[in-house]
Amino acid sequence: MSESVIRMEHIIKTYYEGKPNELEILHGIDLSVNKGEFVSIVGESGSGKSTLMNIIGVLDRQTSGNYFLEEQDVNEMSDEVRSNIRNRRIGFVFQNFNLLPRANALKNVMVPLMYGEEKVRNAKERAMEMLAMVDMADRANHRPNELSGGQKQRVAIARAMINDPAIILADEPTGALDSKTGHMVMDLFHRLHEEQGKTVVLITHSQELAAETQRIVTILDGEIVGDKGGGR
Amino acid sequence: MFLENIKEAFASIIANKMRALLTMLGIIIGISSVIIITTIGGSIQSTLTATMNSLGGNTVSAYVQARYPESDEDWETWVYPDMTDEDYVSQEMIDGLIAAYPDEITGVAAQNYLGSGQIVDPKDSDNYANVSISGITPEYLDYMKLDIHAGRSLTVADNAGKKRVCVIADIMADRYFNGHDPIGEQISVTTSDGSIFDFVVVGVYEYNQALFGKVDPTIPEKDRSTEMMVPIQTSMKMQGSDQTGYEYFDLLLAPLADVDQATGHIMEYFGEIYANNENFEIYAYNMQSDLGMINTVLNVVTIAVSGIAAISLIVGGVGVMNIMLVSITERTREIGVRMALGAKRRTIRMQFVIEAIVLCLIGGIIGILIGVGIGALLGMAAEFVIQNMYAEYSNYIIMKVHPSGQAIILSLFFSMLTGVFFGYYPANKASKMEVIDALRYE
Repeated sequence: MSESVIRMEHIIKTYYEGKPNELEILHGIDLSVNKGEFVSIVGESGSGKSTLMNIIGVLDRQTSGNYFLEEQDVNEMSDEVRSNIRNRRIGFVFQNFNLLPRANALKNVMVPLMYGEEKVRNAKERAMEMLAMVDMADRANHRPNELSGGQKQRVAIARAMINDPAIILADEPTGALDSKTGHMVMDLFHRLHEEQGKTVVLITHSQELAAETQRIVTILDGEIVGDKGGGR
Repeated sequence: MFLENIKEAFASIIANKMRALLTMLGIIIGISSVIIITTIGGSIQSTLTATMNSLGGNTVSAYVQARYPESDEDWETWVYPDMTDEDYVSQEMIDGLIAAYPDEITGVAAQNYLGSGQIVDPKDSDNYANVSISGITPEYLDYMKLDIHAGRSLTVADNAGKKRVCVIADIMADRYFNGHDPIGEQISVTTSDGSIFDFVVVGVYEYNQALFGKVDPTIPEKDRSTEMMVPIQTSMKMQGSDQTGYEYFDLLLAPLADVDQATGHIMEYFGEIYANNENFEIYAYNMQSDLGMINTVLNVVTIAVSGIAAISLIVGGVGVMNIMLVSITERTREIGVRMALGAKRRTIRMQFVIEAIVLCLIGGIIGILIGVGIGALLGMAAEFVIQNMYAEYSNYIIMKVHPSGQAIILSLFFSMLTGVFFGYYPANKASKMEVIDALRYE
């Protein structure tokens, strides 16, 4: 059995706990993702997939249940340590890119290094390597507003990769892109998965995109209703 | 990281130049007014000190003063006592004082005004010169910063021997002796009461408008009066009085002597000598105590203005706080992204505190530059006024215009403090954001 990167046991997430408008979004999710898998989590909006993503990404805490990231119980950790986990072990790719508007591509890629515990030597060289990997080396000095959507997303992926994370967590990464650039971005994820053996978790509402991945986890009304092999 | 934060802060301020400038305005006004006022105050103080020191600030003035009655009843019958030669301060007493405090007191400058007189050339009655005659102690010329041009100054021996020698002004010598050397020449002075005295010229001093007043151009050159200096003992003998001591005199101090301490010693010394004198005593004072009072007034003004500046710093600080709150709301998403990428709460807090500090420091530095600039302009204006309207004094006023380094450092410190104080609350608010809420903020 291969090593598990994500292991969730009966995750429940409730909002407004103890209040009259208490709302349970996730009703006991069991999910395990192994190292090197390319998984998509598919669901309609309101299905709870974003809530699940927030918990996977250590952005939010579950109400009950256990979540082990690389066999560590992240729910028990302090805010500070969770910041470190996000910094080192998770590479976020967002739908709306979330690049810092005043920083150029190179600086944007370097942001996670800046927040690391140790001072990184050769930070600039490493960031340039990442940009070269996503074919954006020639745009290193461009600011986000000088880049197209696809280019922005490639910079965001370079940023996600710079600390060599355990998982790449992509939230609707093609949602703001046209289908052609969307495909280019998807190809990049495939490359990272195949060439570097990265674990990729793709959150999407699109069955079509999900079909490209190894494994499709379907979520509906806060419960996993399907878990099957994908098109590849 | 720290450096990155400073860079980020600059970038964010530059992105909103106008807003930042308006925010800084309160701080700029506060700091620049403090710098201007401290520059003015400090410059007045050091100009006064330097000028007074160069014009004999390093002296103690003393005079013989009647002992006034202590009770009101005595005042009614009291009359000012007559002075006899015993009551005056003799040269021997002063020599004794110098011997007692040789490291402090170096000499005495006293003057005895004799009156005006006229010198007429016996060979040419059209050639004459008007003089006003003063008896002086040998140290007096030095004390008045009068330079001897030719010949020599008056000496202790001239004084002790009550010699008929004199020192005359260069402008008078040039005209009256018409080019030939006046040293050793004999001149006859007819005083206003008709007596005639003969003097030998031993020296020529450089006439100084600042000391004797500007030359009045409406008076023809040959009618202008200049000072003629003779030994003070000679002058007293000429007056026919038996007085040989001084009533008013200045004691010259060694360059590094403590003026107040020397004043105390002088009072003490004469206090003993005059202890048995029923009618008179010696009072000594120095200009540094006057300076002290001016300094006190200037300090009060400086403190008052600093108080006003503090209020403007507080107002400026509230402006900074307001703009930081706006900035944080605007950048909620950015904060969320940074947190998602691993920024800790304290890192976020530090980033915004540093931004507030940088904002306030830039304001402070602009304020300092404006203050220093205006201070320098005021200094130039003052110099211009003195050069053009009080030209005769311009050589004697030692202008010292300089911004106060202490005020500059304090200003930087306080603008930084303003940044920390008013930046902390917004920064802390930013750091308390929940990462998912911040990320989803539209």
